[in-house]
Amino acid sequence: MHIVVCIKQIIDPEVPFHLFRIDPVTKAQIRGSHPLVISPYDEVAIEVAIQAKEKFGGSVTVISIGTEEAIQALHQALAMGADSAILLSDPAFEGVDSFGKARILASALRKIGNFDLILCGRQAGDVEMGLVGPFLAEELGLPCLTLVSNVVSSNGKIQFKRPTETGYEILEAPIPCLATITNDESNVPRYASVKRLRAAMRTPIPVWALADIGLDLAELRGESKIEIEEIWIPQREIRCELIEGKSPEEKAQNLARRLKELGLI
Amino acid sequence: MALLTFCLVTGSTVPRFALELLAAARRLSEQLGGTPVQTLLLGSEVKNQSSVLIQHGADQVLLADHPSLGNPGDEIVLNLLEEVVCQFKPQVILLPHNELGGGHLGPRLAYRLKTGIVTDCTGFDVQNGNIRWLRPVYGGKAMVYMRTRGPVQIATIRSRAFEPLKPDPDRQGEVHEIKIVPELLSSSVNVVRRVEVPGIEGEISLDRAEIIVGGGRGMGSSEGFSRLRELARLLGAAVGGSRPAVDMGWLPHSHLIGQTGKIVAPKLYIAVGISGASQHMAGAGGSKTIVAINKDPDAPIFKLAHIGVVEEWEKIIPPLIQALKEMLSK
Repeated sequence: MHIVVCIKQIIDPEVPFHLFRIDPVTKAQIRGSHPLVISPYDEVAIEVAIQAKEKFGGSVTVISIGTEEAIQALHQALAMGADSAILLSDPAFEGVDSFGKARILASALRKIGNFDLILCGRQAGDVEMGLVGPFLAEELGLPCLTLVSNVVSSNGKIQFKRPTETGYEILEAPIPCLATITNDESNVPRYASVKRLRAAMRTPIPVWALADIGLDLAELRGESKIEIEEIWIPQREIRCELIEGKSPEEKAQNLARRLKELGLI
Repeated sequence: MALLTFCLVTGSTVPRFALELLAAARRLSEQLGGTPVQTLLLGSEVKNQSSVLIQHGADQVLLADHPSLGNPGDEIVLNLLEEVVCQFKPQVILLPHNELGGGHLGPRLAYRLKTGIVTDCTGFDVQNGNIRWLRPVYGGKAMVYMRTRGPVQIATIRSRAFEPLKPDPDRQGEVHEIKIVPELLSSSVNVVRRVEVPGIEGEISLDRAEIIVGGGRGMGSSEGFSRLRELARLLGAAVGGSRPAVDMGWLPHSHLIGQTGKIVAPKLYIAVGISGASQHMAGAGGSKTIVAINKDPDAPIFKLAHIGVVEEWEKIIPPLIQALKEMLSK
Protein backbone atom coordinates (compact mmCIF):
# COMPACT_ATOMS: atom_id res chain seq x y z
CA MET A 1 0.00 0.00 0.00
CA HIS A 2 1.40 3.40 -1.00
CA ILE A 3 0.24 6.11 1.38
CA VAL A 4 0.74 9.81 0.70
CA VAL A 5 0.45 12.16 3.68
CA CYS A 6 -0.13 15.88 3.09
CA ILE A 7 1.35 18.02 5.85
CA LYS A 8 1.57 21.72 6.69
CA GLN A 9 4.29 23.46 8.64
CA ILE A 10 2.95 26.10 11.02
CA ILE A 11 4.17 28.39 13.79
CA ASP A 12 4.19 26.41 17.04
CA PRO A 13 0.54 26.57 18.21
CA GLU A 14 1.69 26.32 21.84
CA VAL A 15 2.96 29.92 21.81
CA PRO A 16 1.49 31.40 25.00
CA PHE A 17 -1.18 34.11 24.84
CA HIS A 18 1.11 36.91 25.94
CA LEU A 19 3.62 36.28 23.12
CA PHE A 20 1.01 35.94 20.38
CA ARG A 21 1.00 38.81 17.84
CA ILE A 22 -0.81 39.41 14.58
CA ASP A 23 0.11 41.41 11.51
CA PRO A 24 -2.82 43.64 10.53
CA VAL A 25 -1.63 43.76 6.90
CA THR A 26 -1.14 40.05 6.20
CA LYS A 27 -3.95 39.26 8.69
CA ALA A 28 -1.87 36.39 10.04
CA GLN A 29 0.24 35.55 13.07
CA ILE A 30 3.69 37.17 13.24
CA ARG A 31 6.39 34.52 13.19
CA GLY A 32 8.77 36.30 15.59
CA SER A 33 11.28 33.90 17.10
CA HIS A 34 8.75 31.11 17.51
CA PRO A 35 9.71 27.67 16.19
CA LEU A 36 8.00 26.07 13.20
CA VAL A 37 6.42 22.66 13.71
CA ILE A 38 4.37 20.10 11.80
CA SER A 39 0.71 20.98 12.36
CA PRO A 40 -0.42 18.65 15.19
CA TYR A 41 -3.08 16.64 13.33
CA ASP A 42 -0.73 16.27 10.34
CA GLU A 43 1.88 14.78 12.64
CA VAL A 44 -0.80 12.34 13.82
CA ALA A 45 -1.54 11.53 10.15
CA ILE A 46 2.14 10.65 9.62
CA GLU A 47 1.95 8.33 12.63
CA VAL A 48 -1.19 6.65 11.26
CA ALA A 49 0.52 6.14 7.89
CA ILE A 50 3.64 4.62 9.46
CA GLN A 51 1.57 2.30 11.66
CA ALA A 52 -0.36 1.16 8.56
CA LYS A 53 2.91 0.54 6.72
CA GLU A 54 4.20 -1.50 9.66
CA LYS A 55 1.02 -3.59 9.77
CA PHE A 56 0.25 -4.05 6.08
CA GLY A 57 3.50 -3.25 4.26
CA GLY A 58 4.05 -0.63 1.56
CA SER A 59 5.55 2.81 1.66
CA VAL A 60 4.83 6.33 2.89
CA THR A 61 5.43 9.55 0.94
CA VAL A 62 5.03 12.91 2.66
CA ILE A 63 4.31 16.09 0.71
CA SER A 64 4.00 19.70 1.78
CA ILE A 65 3.32 23.07 0.23
CA GLY A 66 5.73 25.59 1.67
CA THR A 67 8.95 27.51 1.45
CA GLU A 68 12.44 25.98 1.81
CA GLU A 69 11.88 26.08 5.57
CA ALA A 70 9.29 23.32 5.27
CA ILE A 71 12.11 20.89 4.38
CA GLN A 72 12.72 20.72 8.12
CA ALA A 73 9.19 19.36 8.63
CA LEU A 74 9.71 16.82 5.85
CA HIS A 75 13.00 15.70 7.45
CA GLN A 76 11.12 15.12 10.68
CA ALA A 77 8.52 13.01 8.83
CA LEU A 78 11.33 10.94 7.27
CA ALA A 79 12.93 10.50 10.69
CA MET A 80 9.57 9.25 12.04
CA GLY A 81 9.61 6.56 9.36
CA ALA A 82 8.33 7.95 6.07
CA ASP A 83 10.18 6.65 2.99
CA SER A 84 10.26 9.72 0.78
CA ALA A 85 9.24 13.36 0.77
CA ILE A 86 8.50 16.05 -1.80
CA LEU A 87 8.35 19.80 -1.26
CA LEU A 88 5.89 21.79 -3.38
CA SER A 89 7.37 25.26 -3.51
CA ASP A 90 6.85 28.22 -5.81
CA PRO A 91 6.36 31.94 -5.13
CA ALA A 92 3.07 31.59 -7.02
CA PHE A 93 1.71 29.31 -4.29
CA GLU A 94 1.82 32.03 -1.66
CA GLY A 95 -1.50 33.40 -0.51
CA VAL A 96 -3.72 30.94 -2.40
CA ASP A 97 -6.87 29.90 -0.53
CA SER A 98 -7.92 26.34 0.36
CA PHE A 99 -9.35 25.79 -3.13
CA GLY A 100 -5.94 26.67 -4.61
CA LYS A 101 -4.08 24.47 -2.14
CA ALA A 102 -6.29 21.50 -3.03
CA ARG A 103 -5.50 22.12 -6.72
CA ILE A 104 -1.75 22.23 -6.06
CA LEU A 105 -1.83 19.03 -3.99
CA ALA A 106 -4.06 17.30 -6.56
CA SER A 107 -1.63 18.13 -9.39
CA ALA A 108 1.27 16.79 -7.36
CA LEU A 109 -0.65 13.62 -6.52
CA ARG A 110 -1.52 13.06 -10.19
CA LYS A 111 2.20 13.30 -10.93
CA ILE A 112 3.04 10.87 -8.10
CA GLY A 113 0.38 8.59 -9.56
CA ASN A 114 0.44 5.20 -7.88
CA PHE A 115 -1.10 5.99 -4.50
CA ASP A 116 -3.66 3.88 -2.64
CA LEU A 117 -4.45 6.15 0.24
CA ILE A 118 -4.08 9.87 0.95
CA LEU A 119 -4.06 11.10 4.54
CA CYS A 120 -4.53 14.68 5.76
CA GLY A 121 -4.81 16.01 9.30
CA ARG A 122 -8.40 16.95 10.16
CA GLN A 123 -7.50 20.65 10.32
CA ALA A 124 -4.39 22.82 10.50
CA GLY A 125 -3.37 24.08 13.92
CA ASP A 126 -3.41 27.74 12.85
CA VAL A 127 -6.53 28.83 10.94
CA GLU A 128 -8.28 25.52 11.71
CA MET A 129 -10.74 25.58 8.80
CA GLY A 130 -10.44 21.87 7.94
CA LEU A 131 -11.07 22.38 4.22
CA VAL A 132 -8.06 21.14 2.28
CA GLY A 133 -8.55 17.40 2.93
CA PRO A 134 -12.19 17.18 1.81
CA PHE A 135 -11.50 19.63 -1.05
CA LEU A 136 -8.63 17.44 -2.26
CA ALA A 137 -10.88 14.34 -2.23
CA GLU A 138 -13.43 16.20 -4.35
CA GLU A 139 -10.80 17.53 -6.74
CA LEU A 140 -9.45 14.02 -7.30
CA GLY A 141 -12.93 12.47 -7.31
CA LEU A 142 -12.03 10.09 -4.50
CA PRO A 143 -14.16 8.60 -1.72
CA CYS A 144 -13.57 10.66 1.41
CA LEU A 145 -13.62 9.54 5.02
CA THR A 146 -13.30 12.14 7.72
CA LEU A 147 -12.13 12.13 11.32
CA VAL A 148 -10.80 8.58 11.33
CA SER A 149 -8.04 7.58 13.73
CA ASN A 150 -6.49 4.44 12.28
CA VAL A 151 -6.26 1.97 9.42
CA VAL A 152 -7.51 -1.36 10.76
CA SER A 153 -7.30 -3.56 7.68
CA SER A 154 -6.22 -3.48 4.09
CA ASN A 155 -7.41 -6.24 1.82
CA GLY A 156 -8.51 -4.90 -1.55
CA LYS A 157 -10.51 -2.34 0.39
CA ILE A 158 -9.34 -0.29 3.36
CA GLN A 159 -11.05 -0.28 6.73
CA PHE A 160 -10.73 2.62 9.14
CA LYS A 161 -11.59 3.20 12.77
CA ARG A 162 -13.57 6.34 13.46
CA PRO A 163 -14.16 7.43 17.07
CA THR A 164 -17.75 8.44 17.84
CA GLU A 165 -19.29 10.10 20.88
CA THR A 166 -20.22 6.74 22.39
CA GLY A 167 -17.58 4.38 20.98
CA TYR A 168 -16.32 3.92 17.46
CA GLU A 169 -17.31 2.70 14.03
CA ILE A 170 -15.48 0.75 11.37
CA LEU A 171 -15.76 2.26 7.90
CA GLU A 172 -14.75 0.63 4.65
CA ALA A 173 -13.78 2.34 1.41
CA PRO A 174 -12.40 1.24 -1.95
CA ILE A 175 -8.81 1.98 -3.01
CA PRO A 176 -7.76 4.71 -3.69
CA CYS A 177 -9.42 6.96 -1.16
CA LEU A 178 -8.68 9.92 1.09
CA ALA A 179 -9.06 10.12 4.86
CA THR A 180 -8.74 13.01 7.29
CA ILE A 181 -7.18 12.05 10.59
CA THR A 182 -8.17 12.83 14.15
CA ASN A 183 -6.29 11.76 17.25
CA ASP A 184 -7.00 9.10 19.84
CA GLU A 185 -4.94 6.91 22.18
CA SER A 186 -3.81 4.68 19.30
CA ASN A 187 -1.97 7.28 17.22
CA VAL A 188 0.20 9.43 19.50
CA PRO A 189 3.05 10.55 17.17
CA ARG A 190 6.33 8.75 17.75
CA TYR A 191 9.43 10.65 18.70
CA ALA A 192 12.00 11.20 15.93
CA SER A 193 15.37 10.56 17.55
CA VAL A 194 18.34 12.82 16.84
CA LYS A 195 20.14 9.88 15.22
CA ARG A 196 17.25 9.24 12.84
CA LEU A 197 16.87 12.95 12.19
CA ARG A 198 20.55 13.14 11.16
CA ALA A 199 20.07 10.23 8.79
CA ALA A 200 16.89 11.81 7.40
CA MET A 201 18.73 15.04 6.65
CA ARG A 202 20.92 13.14 4.20
CA THR A 203 17.86 12.02 2.21
CA PRO A 204 17.45 14.29 -0.82
CA ILE A 205 14.05 15.99 -1.02
CA PRO A 206 12.90 16.93 -4.52
CA VAL A 207 11.32 20.36 -4.88
CA TRP A 208 8.46 20.66 -7.36
CA ALA A 209 7.51 24.11 -8.61
CA LEU A 210 4.41 25.21 -10.50
CA ALA A 211 5.82 24.13 -13.87
CA ASP A 212 6.76 20.68 -12.54
CA ILE A 213 3.20 19.82 -11.62
CA GLY A 214 1.67 21.25 -14.79
CA LEU A 215 -0.65 23.76 -13.23
CA ASP A 216 -1.76 26.92 -14.99
CA LEU A 217 -0.86 30.00 -12.97
CA ALA A 218 -3.85 32.11 -14.02
CA GLU A 219 -6.14 29.19 -13.27
CA LEU A 220 -4.62 28.85 -9.83
CA ARG A 221 -4.79 32.48 -8.81
CA GLY A 222 -8.46 33.01 -9.50
CA GLU A 223 -10.42 35.20 -7.14
CA SER A 224 -10.14 33.92 -3.60
CA LYS A 225 -13.45 32.48 -2.39
CA ILE A 226 -12.61 32.74 1.30
CA GLU A 227 -11.03 35.82 2.82
CA ILE A 228 -10.19 37.12 6.25
CA GLU A 229 -11.63 40.61 6.40
CA GLU A 230 -10.66 41.55 9.92
CA ILE A 231 -8.50 39.92 12.59
CA TRP A 232 -7.99 40.92 16.20
CA ILE A 233 -6.81 39.57 19.51
CA PRO A 234 -9.73 39.45 21.93
CA GLN A 235 -9.29 41.07 25.30
CA ARG A 236 -9.29 37.99 27.50
CA GLU A 237 -7.90 39.08 30.83
CA ILE A 238 -10.74 38.93 33.27
CA ARG A 239 -10.55 40.30 36.77
CA CYS A 240 -10.46 37.12 38.78
CA GLU A 241 -12.44 37.17 41.99
CA LEU A 242 -10.24 35.42 44.56
CA ILE A 243 -11.95 33.38 47.24
CA GLU A 244 -10.14 33.92 50.54
CA GLY A 245 -10.21 32.06 53.83
CA LYS A 246 -8.04 31.35 56.85
CA SER A 247 -8.00 27.63 56.21
CA PRO A 248 -8.69 25.35 53.23
CA GLU A 249 -11.99 24.42 54.91
CA GLU A 250 -13.04 28.05 55.11
CA LYS A 251 -12.07 28.63 51.47
CA ALA A 252 -14.10 25.56 50.50
CA GLN A 253 -17.14 26.89 52.42
CA ASN A 254 -16.79 30.32 50.84
CA LEU A 255 -16.40 28.89 47.33
CA ALA A 256 -19.46 26.65 47.71
CA ARG A 257 -21.50 29.61 49.01
CA ARG A 258 -20.36 31.87 46.15
CA LEU A 259 -21.25 29.27 43.50
CA LYS A 260 -24.68 28.94 45.04
CA GLU A 261 -25.17 32.74 45.19
CA LEU A 262 -24.31 33.00 41.50
CA GLY A 263 -26.83 30.28 40.69
CA LEU A 264 -24.13 28.12 39.15
CA ILE A 265 -24.96 25.00 41.15
CA MET B 1 -33.91 32.77 -1.85
CA ALA B 2 -33.96 31.24 1.60
CA LEU B 3 -31.69 30.25 4.44
CA LEU B 4 -31.32 26.48 4.61
CA THR B 5 -30.60 24.61 7.84
CA PHE B 6 -30.11 20.93 8.40
CA CYS B 7 -31.56 18.31 10.72
CA LEU B 8 -30.56 14.65 10.65
CA VAL B 9 -32.58 12.56 13.08
CA THR B 10 -30.92 9.26 13.99
CA GLY B 11 -32.61 8.75 17.36
CA SER B 12 -36.14 9.40 18.53
CA THR B 13 -35.89 13.17 18.96
CA VAL B 14 -34.67 16.22 17.06
CA PRO B 15 -31.02 16.75 18.05
CA ARG B 16 -30.12 19.95 19.87
CA PHE B 17 -27.78 21.09 17.08
CA ALA B 18 -30.75 21.38 14.70
CA LEU B 19 -32.51 23.76 17.11
CA GLU B 20 -29.32 25.79 17.58
CA LEU B 21 -29.02 26.11 13.78
CA LEU B 22 -32.61 27.34 13.61
CA ALA B 23 -31.88 29.95 16.27
CA ALA B 24 -28.88 31.13 14.23
CA ALA B 25 -30.94 31.14 11.03
CA ARG B 26 -33.74 33.20 12.61
CA ARG B 27 -31.28 35.80 13.81
CA LEU B 28 -29.63 35.94 10.39
CA SER B 29 -33.04 36.14 8.70
CA GLU B 30 -33.93 39.12 10.89
CA GLN B 31 -30.69 40.90 9.96
CA LEU B 32 -31.23 40.19 6.27
CA GLY B 33 -34.76 41.61 6.39
CA GLY B 34 -36.92 38.54 6.81
CA THR B 35 -35.49 35.87 4.52
CA PRO B 36 -37.51 32.64 4.96
CA VAL B 37 -35.90 29.71 6.78
CA GLN B 38 -36.01 26.22 5.31
CA THR B 39 -34.86 23.08 7.10
CA LEU B 40 -33.86 19.84 5.44
CA LEU B 41 -35.19 17.11 7.72
CA LEU B 42 -33.59 13.72 7.09
CA GLY B 43 -34.42 10.41 8.69
CA SER B 44 -36.68 7.40 8.77
CA GLU B 45 -40.27 7.95 9.97
CA VAL B 46 -39.51 11.52 10.97
CA LYS B 47 -42.49 13.35 9.45
CA ASN B 48 -43.97 14.07 12.88
CA GLN B 49 -40.75 15.90 13.87
CA SER B 50 -41.55 18.63 11.32
CA SER B 51 -43.73 20.47 13.82
CA VAL B 52 -40.83 20.63 16.31
CA LEU B 53 -38.71 22.38 13.68
CA ILE B 54 -41.51 24.77 12.74
CA GLN B 55 -42.10 25.64 16.40
CA HIS B 56 -38.40 26.42 16.75
CA GLY B 57 -38.20 28.72 13.74
CA ALA B 58 -38.50 26.85 10.41
CA ASP B 59 -40.88 28.35 7.82
CA GLN B 60 -40.67 25.35 5.54
CA VAL B 61 -39.53 21.80 6.26
CA LEU B 62 -38.05 19.90 3.33
CA LEU B 63 -38.78 16.36 4.37
CA ALA B 64 -36.49 13.54 3.23
CA ASP B 65 -38.13 10.57 4.90
CA HIS B 66 -36.98 7.12 3.82
CA PRO B 67 -36.37 3.76 5.57
CA SER B 68 -32.70 3.80 4.52
CA LEU B 69 -32.14 7.24 6.07
CA GLY B 70 -32.40 5.96 9.64
CA ASN B 71 -28.65 6.09 10.06
CA PRO B 72 -27.26 7.02 6.66
CA GLY B 73 -23.59 7.27 5.72
CA ASP B 74 -22.07 10.69 5.10
CA GLU B 75 -21.98 10.25 1.32
CA ILE B 76 -25.74 9.70 1.18
CA VAL B 77 -26.41 12.76 3.33
CA LEU B 78 -24.12 14.77 1.07
CA ASN B 79 -25.96 13.57 -2.06
CA LEU B 80 -29.31 14.59 -0.60
CA LEU B 81 -28.04 17.95 0.54
CA GLU B 82 -26.57 18.66 -2.88
CA GLU B 83 -29.86 17.65 -4.52
CA VAL B 84 -31.87 19.95 -2.27
CA VAL B 85 -29.48 22.86 -2.82
CA CYS B 86 -29.73 22.44 -6.60
CA GLN B 87 -33.54 22.34 -6.41
CA PHE B 88 -34.13 25.17 -3.96
CA LYS B 89 -31.06 27.40 -4.52
CA PRO B 90 -30.75 28.80 -1.00
CA GLN B 91 -28.83 32.00 -0.32
CA VAL B 92 -27.12 30.63 2.78
CA ILE B 93 -26.63 27.10 4.11
CA LEU B 94 -26.05 26.60 7.83
CA LEU B 95 -24.66 23.23 8.93
CA PRO B 96 -23.60 22.00 12.36
CA HIS B 97 -19.87 22.06 13.04
CA ASN B 98 -19.77 18.49 14.25
CA GLU B 99 -18.22 15.35 12.74
CA LEU B 100 -20.89 15.43 10.06
CA GLY B 101 -21.39 19.02 9.03
CA GLY B 102 -17.99 20.50 9.70
CA GLY B 103 -15.90 17.48 8.94
CA HIS B 104 -17.55 16.32 5.84
CA LEU B 105 -20.67 17.80 4.38
CA GLY B 106 -19.83 21.48 4.50
CA PRO B 107 -16.40 21.43 2.83
CA ARG B 108 -17.34 18.84 0.20
CA LEU B 109 -20.59 20.60 -0.64
CA ALA B 110 -18.68 23.89 -0.99
CA TYR B 111 -16.20 22.32 -3.39
CA ARG B 112 -18.97 20.79 -5.50
CA LEU B 113 -20.80 24.11 -5.67
CA LYS B 114 -17.53 26.07 -6.26
CA THR B 115 -18.46 28.39 -3.46
CA GLY B 116 -16.91 29.78 -0.31
CA ILE B 117 -17.35 28.32 3.14
CA VAL B 118 -16.47 29.33 6.69
CA THR B 119 -16.30 26.52 9.24
CA ASP B 120 -16.74 26.59 13.01
CA CYS B 121 -18.49 29.97 13.19
CA THR B 122 -19.51 31.38 16.53
CA GLY B 123 -21.43 34.35 15.14
CA PHE B 124 -21.97 36.71 12.19
CA ASP B 125 -23.01 40.20 11.32
CA VAL B 126 -24.63 41.79 8.31
CA GLN B 127 -23.54 45.06 6.74
CA ASN B 128 -25.43 46.38 3.69
CA GLY B 129 -26.81 42.91 3.11
CA ASN B 130 -23.34 41.30 3.19
CA ILE B 131 -22.69 38.62 5.77
CA ARG B 132 -19.42 38.46 7.70
CA TRP B 133 -18.77 35.26 9.61
CA LEU B 134 -17.15 35.39 13.03
CA ARG B 135 -14.88 32.58 14.18
CA PRO B 136 -11.86 31.93 16.38
CA VAL B 137 -8.47 31.16 14.79
CA TYR B 138 -5.11 30.09 16.27
CA GLY B 139 -6.80 28.08 19.00
CA GLY B 140 -8.89 31.07 20.05
CA LYS B 141 -5.91 33.41 20.44
CA ALA B 142 -7.40 35.59 17.72
CA MET B 143 -10.83 36.19 16.21
CA VAL B 144 -11.63 36.88 12.56
CA TYR B 145 -14.46 38.09 10.41
CA MET B 146 -14.43 36.16 7.14
CA ARG B 147 -16.23 36.75 3.89
CA THR B 148 -16.97 34.25 1.18
CA ARG B 149 -17.62 34.53 -2.54
CA GLY B 150 -19.68 32.28 -4.75
CA PRO B 151 -23.25 31.42 -5.66
CA VAL B 152 -24.22 30.45 -2.10
CA GLN B 153 -22.66 31.00 1.31
CA ILE B 154 -21.99 28.00 3.52
CA ALA B 155 -21.18 28.20 7.21
CA THR B 156 -20.81 25.51 9.82
CA ILE B 157 -21.86 26.65 13.29
CA ARG B 158 -20.02 25.74 16.48
CA SER B 159 -22.04 23.78 18.99
CA ARG B 160 -23.57 25.92 21.77
CA ALA B 161 -22.76 29.20 20.02
CA PHE B 162 -26.55 29.74 19.76
CA GLU B 163 -29.25 28.83 22.27
CA PRO B 164 -32.36 27.14 20.83
CA LEU B 165 -35.39 29.44 20.71
CA LYS B 166 -38.34 28.75 22.97
CA PRO B 167 -40.83 26.64 20.99
CA ASP B 168 -43.87 28.58 19.80
CA PRO B 169 -46.83 26.18 19.43
CA ASP B 170 -48.72 28.75 17.32
CA ARG B 171 -45.97 29.12 14.72
CA GLN B 172 -47.07 28.10 11.23
CA GLY B 173 -45.01 26.47 8.53
CA GLU B 174 -45.32 24.08 5.66
CA VAL B 175 -43.89 20.66 4.89
CA HIS B 176 -42.59 19.79 1.45
CA GLU B 177 -41.66 16.19 0.72
CA ILE B 178 -38.45 15.50 -1.18
CA LYS B 179 -38.60 12.66 -3.68
CA ILE B 180 -35.91 10.13 -2.86
CA VAL B 181 -34.59 8.43 -5.99
CA PRO B 182 -32.38 5.33 -5.52
CA GLU B 183 -29.30 7.01 -7.06
CA LEU B 184 -29.19 9.35 -4.06
CA LEU B 185 -28.80 6.41 -1.72
CA SER B 186 -25.59 4.95 -3.11
CA SER B 187 -22.30 5.30 -1.26
CA SER B 188 -18.76 4.08 -1.87
CA VAL B 189 -18.01 4.22 1.85
CA ASN B 190 -19.76 1.64 4.03
CA VAL B 191 -20.22 1.42 7.76
CA VAL B 192 -19.05 -2.12 8.57
CA ARG B 193 -20.08 -1.95 12.21
CA ARG B 194 -20.74 0.44 15.05
CA VAL B 195 -19.36 -0.35 18.47
CA GLU B 196 -20.62 1.21 21.69
CA VAL B 197 -17.95 1.42 24.35
CA PRO B 198 -19.69 1.57 27.71
CA GLY B 199 -18.38 4.43 29.83
CA ILE B 200 -18.18 4.55 33.59
CA GLU B 201 -21.68 4.14 34.99
CA GLY B 202 -23.57 7.37 35.45
CA GLU B 203 -20.87 9.31 33.61
CA ILE B 204 -22.03 12.41 31.78
CA SER B 205 -20.70 13.18 28.30
CA LEU B 206 -18.56 16.31 27.88
CA ASP B 207 -20.61 17.36 24.87
CA ARG B 208 -23.80 17.65 26.89
CA ALA B 209 -22.69 18.69 30.36
CA GLU B 210 -23.79 22.00 31.89
CA ILE B 211 -21.00 21.69 34.45
CA ILE B 212 -17.53 20.25 33.79
CA VAL B 213 -14.80 19.46 36.31
CA GLY B 214 -11.36 19.44 34.67
CA GLY B 215 -8.02 18.29 36.03
CA GLY B 216 -4.48 18.88 34.84
CA ARG B 217 -0.87 18.05 35.56
CA GLY B 218 -1.30 19.38 39.10
CA MET B 219 -3.54 16.41 39.98
CA GLY B 220 -0.37 14.35 40.23
CA SER B 221 -1.94 10.90 39.79
CA SER B 222 -4.99 9.00 38.58
CA GLU B 223 -6.13 8.79 42.23
CA GLY B 224 -6.52 12.56 42.12
CA PHE B 225 -9.07 12.08 39.38
CA SER B 226 -11.21 9.80 41.55
CA ARG B 227 -11.70 12.76 43.88
CA LEU B 228 -12.66 14.94 40.90
CA ARG B 229 -15.15 12.26 39.80
CA GLU B 230 -16.66 12.34 43.26
CA LEU B 231 -17.04 16.12 42.99
CA ALA B 232 -18.49 15.75 39.50
CA ARG B 233 -21.07 13.14 40.58
CA LEU B 234 -22.24 15.49 43.28
CA LEU B 235 -22.74 18.35 40.81
CA GLY B 236 -24.09 16.24 37.95
CA ALA B 237 -20.98 17.27 36.05
CA ALA B 238 -18.76 15.66 33.42
CA VAL B 239 -15.03 15.08 33.98
CA GLY B 240 -12.38 16.23 31.53
CA GLY B 241 -8.79 17.32 31.58
CA SER B 242 -5.82 18.90 29.90
CA ARG B 243 -3.23 17.15 27.75
CA PRO B 244 -0.69 16.34 30.48
CA ALA B 245 -3.42 14.45 32.38
CA VAL B 246 -4.23 12.43 29.25
CA ASP B 247 -0.55 11.90 28.36
CA MET B 248 0.11 10.55 31.86
CA GLY B 249 -2.75 8.09 31.40
CA TRP B 250 -4.86 9.52 34.24
CA LEU B 251 -7.76 10.15 31.90
CA PRO B 252 -8.93 8.48 28.66
CA HIS B 253 -8.24 10.36 25.45
CA SER B 254 -11.95 10.93 24.80
CA HIS B 255 -11.96 13.24 27.86
CA LEU B 256 -9.29 15.59 26.53
CA ILE B 257 -10.38 19.25 26.46
CA GLY B 258 -8.29 21.50 24.22
CA GLN B 259 -7.20 22.50 20.76
CA THR B 260 -6.55 18.85 19.85
CA GLY B 261 -9.45 17.51 21.91
CA LYS B 262 -13.00 18.52 22.75
CA ILE B 263 -14.15 22.12 22.57
CA VAL B 264 -16.66 22.68 25.33
CA ALA B 265 -18.78 25.58 26.53
CA PRO B 266 -20.48 24.62 29.80
CA LYS B 267 -22.23 27.02 32.17
CA LEU B 268 -19.57 26.27 34.79
CA TYR B 269 -16.04 24.94 34.35
CA ILE B 270 -14.06 24.04 37.47
CA ALA B 271 -10.36 23.78 36.53
CA VAL B 272 -8.31 21.97 39.15
CA GLY B 273 -4.51 21.81 38.97
CA ILE B 274 -4.62 23.30 35.48
CA SER B 275 -2.07 25.98 34.60
CA GLY B 276 -4.08 27.54 31.77
CA ALA B 277 -1.89 26.77 28.74
CA SER B 278 -3.27 28.00 25.42
CA GLN B 279 -3.71 24.42 24.14
CA HIS B 280 -6.20 23.73 26.93
CA MET B 281 -7.92 27.11 26.95
CA ALA B 282 -8.66 26.71 23.23
CA GLY B 283 -11.06 24.00 24.36
CA ALA B 284 -12.32 25.39 27.67
CA GLY B 285 -12.13 29.16 27.08
CA GLY B 286 -15.75 29.36 25.92
CA SER B 287 -17.09 28.30 29.33
CA LYS B 288 -19.50 30.89 30.76
CA THR B 289 -17.92 30.85 34.22
CA ILE B 290 -14.45 29.46 34.94
CA VAL B 291 -13.43 28.60 38.49
CA ALA B 292 -9.71 27.93 38.96
CA ILE B 293 -8.22 25.97 41.83
CA ASN B 294 -4.43 26.03 41.78
CA LYS B 295 -1.72 26.20 44.42
CA ASP B 296 0.41 28.57 42.29
CA PRO B 297 -0.88 32.16 42.58
CA ASP B 298 1.08 33.07 39.42
CA ALA B 299 -0.50 30.35 37.23
CA PRO B 300 -1.83 31.92 33.99
CA ILE B 301 -5.24 30.36 34.67
CA PHE B 302 -5.90 33.11 37.25
CA LYS B 303 -5.83 35.65 34.42
CA LEU B 304 -8.45 33.64 32.51
CA ALA B 305 -10.76 32.53 35.32
CA HIS B 306 -13.70 34.44 36.80
CA ILE B 307 -13.30 32.92 40.25
CA GLY B 308 -10.06 31.64 41.75
CA VAL B 309 -8.90 29.81 44.83
CA VAL B 310 -5.17 29.58 45.60
CA GLU B 311 -4.84 26.28 47.39
CA GLU B 312 -3.53 22.74 46.98
CA TRP B 313 -6.29 20.61 45.54
CA GLU B 314 -5.65 17.86 48.10
CA LYS B 315 -6.54 20.30 50.86
CA ILE B 316 -9.58 21.97 49.34
CA ILE B 317 -11.40 19.33 47.28
CA PRO B 318 -12.40 17.11 50.27
CA PRO B 319 -13.89 20.00 52.31
CA LEU B 320 -15.46 21.39 49.12
CA ILE B 321 -17.19 18.05 48.51
CA GLN B 322 -18.34 18.12 52.14
CA ALA B 323 -19.62 21.70 51.93
CA LEU B 324 -21.47 21.02 48.68
CA LYS B 325 -23.02 17.84 50.09
CA GLU B 326 -24.41 19.80 53.02
CA MET B 327 -25.59 22.64 50.82
CA LEU B 328 -27.23 20.44 48.20
CA SER B 329 -28.97 18.23 50.76
CA LYS B 330 -30.80 21.25 52.21
